[in-house]
Amino acid sequence: MRGTLDGIRVLDLTAEPGFLAGKLLAEMGADVVKVEPPGGDPARRRPPFWGGVEDPERSILWLALNTSKRGITLALDHPRGRELFLDLAARADVVLETGTLDPTALRARNRRLVLCSITPFGRTGPYAGWRGSDLTVTAMSGNLWCTGDPDRPPVRCSLPVSHYHGGIEAAAGVVFALLARETTGEGQDVDVALHEAMLMPNIGTAAMAVMTGNRGARSGAMMRQGRSVQREIWPCKDGFVSFALRGGPARIPGLVAMVRYMDEHGMASERLKATDWKSYNHNLLSQDEVDALSAEFGAFFRTKTMAELYAAACERNLMLAPINTPREMLASAQLADRGFFADLDHPGRGRLTLPGAFARTTPASVAVRSPAPRLGEHTAAVLGEIGVDAAALARLRAEGVV
Amino acid sequence: MSGLFAGTTILEFGGGAAGPLATRYFADLGAAVIRVESRQRPDFLRTLKMTPGTKGGLDGSEHFAVLNAGKLSLALNLSHPEGVAVARRLALRVDAVAENFAPGAMAKWGLDYASLVTQRADLVMISTCLNGQSGPHRFYPGFGGQGSALAGFNHLTGWPDREPVGPYGTITDSLAPRFAALLLAAALFHRRRTGEGQHIDLAQVEAGIVCLSEFVATYTATGEILGRVGNRSRHAAPHGVFRCADEGGRERWVAIAVHDDADWQRLVRALGSPAWAADPALATAAGRLARVADVEAGLEAWTRPRRAADAARLLQEAGVDAGPVADLRDTHDDPQLRHRRHFREVEHAVLGRHPAETNALRFSAMEPEIRAAAPCLGADTDRVLHRLLGMPAAEIARLRDAGVLA
Repeated sequence: MRGTLDGIRVLDLTAEPGFLAGKLLAEMGADVVKVEPPGGDPARRRPPFWGGVEDPERSILWLALNTSKRGITLALDHPRGRELFLDLAARADVVLETGTLDPTALRARNRRLVLCSITPFGRTGPYAGWRGSDLTVTAMSGNLWCTGDPDRPPVRCSLPVSHYHGGIEAAAGVVFALLARETTGEGQDVDVALHEAMLMPNIGTAAMAVMTGNRGARSGAMMRQGRSVQREIWPCKDGFVSFALRGGPARIPGLVAMVRYMDEHGMASERLKATDWKSYNHNLLSQDEVDALSAEFGAFFRTKTMAELYAAACERNLMLAPINTPREMLASAQLADRGFFADLDHPGRGRLTLPGAFARTTPASVAVRSPAPRLGEHTAAVLGEIGVDAAALARLRAEGVV
Repeated sequence: MSGLFAGTTILEFGGGAAGPLATRYFADLGAAVIRVESRQRPDFLRTLKMTPGTKGGLDGSEHFAVLNAGKLSLALNLSHPEGVAVARRLALRVDAVAENFAPGAMAKWGLDYASLVTQRADLVMISTCLNGQSGPHRFYPGFGGQGSALAGFNHLTGWPDREPVGPYGTITDSLAPRFAALLLAAALFHRRRTGEGQHIDLAQVEAGIVCLSEFVATYTATGEILGRVGNRSRHAAPHGVFRCADEGGRERWVAIAVHDDADWQRLVRALGSPAWAADPALATAAGRLARVADVEAGLEAWTRPRRAADAARLLQEAGVDAGPVADLRDTHDDPQLRHRRHFREVEHAVLGRHPAETNALRFSAMEPEIRAAAPCLGADTDRVLHRLLGMPAAEIARLRDAGVLA
């Protein structure tokens, strides 16, 4: 399979916040080499472990987000390790890092290099020296403020979404810089701030705050719409589903079809069936009207499972979605039909099913190409490409450089 | 380099957030992004909050304005055969086509990749929708709220003892545009190097699940379904948001994240080494996790009388990861976002001056700029038809009279 980034060499020095960026570039065909200290990346020591065995080759975090990369070990704090790194960087197109690298020395050796830094707040500015992690950058973005229940503090997603937002953006920034290089012949620095990346998830509402005066509020499973508060997350027989009372040309057919579906089960009142959907405007509903609608929809959902409701949604174009976990994803007919999941053989450990290509293209160009590298798996091959032979490698190993 | 994409034209069909946010990256770097719109079936963001009293009607939506700054608008009635013919001529002429209609819509008009590529072999086109262009559920209609639920984000967000809530802002609508920008840029890069075009089918749910690879792999490797843990960490403590002094009658919090035992020692010193924190049992992550509620209560006793910004600054000065919880309005006063010029003022024809947002990328040799406010519907129709298709004024007038440019 030919990737759109075939032939692009990437050195990936990132810690966890940057893992996804290199994975995406690798799955588009770039040769991404993960550079780890000889003791291994700290992520390899993070539980849970596949098979319950504490083993650097079995950390699920590591295995999940480093697919399609090659891996080497190199002690960057050792003069010889540093030298070898500069040799590798001299022939690389891209270096990805998370705030530990000074670009000056790299740039001096390779004017075509694209150096992408993923840091909590960016490389310059008043918070450039601040520490930041998913919780704190999300807190400072306005996104946390608006997430959660009204009677409790703001709350985050239990996995680090800022790393995903920033990681994808970093990969895009790298490609923008590669495109610019086609014209200028020179590389440049790409400075990605996870904090700033968490503004886009507010979908424009931070910019709107000065126009509308709306500072944002937590509404839990509900959403404020016009004059009322309307439910978005509804309990069903075996879990939860997402469904909105919002109208508009794109949504009203779904509401009409939902009422018909409920009616087939004898669960739509005469009043509900008599709704004039042509004039329906969710912004104008009173709370009493919303509560009456919610009582009917809510009672119906409680009689159905997530799978039943989603099957009906797909057949009847209802705008309803189950609150999926991986169990439902693995059972999805849609994802199976598209061959989404990748079943990867991990030598010595068995097969592990992981999410597959993040997009499909014609001609095909995106794929999970290989499992995450074992510690130092490609050290000999990669250093061999810059002329380090077996004898030299043995010496480096003895000195603790690799 | 003033604008990487100066001279590049992208034709955009569709609406909402997931499609239009993707092309913003290109507009900010100089591309002409032409939105194909119609009064017959306007972008739902133009109508989302609309009531009969909305000033400017379809052009008065703040939400549309902030998401579509720097673009052009072409009014084209695709239910008219001549409208479809104009769209087709444009699609074959531009550098890339982006669409986020429901699958099948573009094919109905003969504007899908398979139809267009017969006349333009090196076409670059991206189609994005929730479930993708193929498969039994491809026609499933949904917005980002559904995408977030299907991809697993809702399940992971909220408190363990409460129903799931989902991260604020329909998260697949902000993840998908970034994937789309990456894929589209890479396709343009590939065409530049090889002359080959590409069609991209980005299923927003699949791309979201790829982000949550750790969630999926935990299940496939161990059978465990990770749940909601509030703001806590499974690996470290304390890790949460802590109540501070109210400001202007509003509740305030500070986020504090201790990642390891060295962080804990820094935190204890910053707190003035209170007696409760001196307990040696709390010196290890395991010890703190075992008594996490006590640790959180002790920490909150310290934060409660303080202003959130003061607490965060004090902790950062001690090397502790902390930040004030900002509301949406507060982000405009954030010194770091100001330094990066995240918000840029534009002048909108109906709404007047307002801030628009750029992305999180800064480059050493090019600067993203928001060149104009969002367009009123059809504001650029004549100019686009004239410049891109060389259409004479009389022909434009004829099409307008025939209801094609509506």
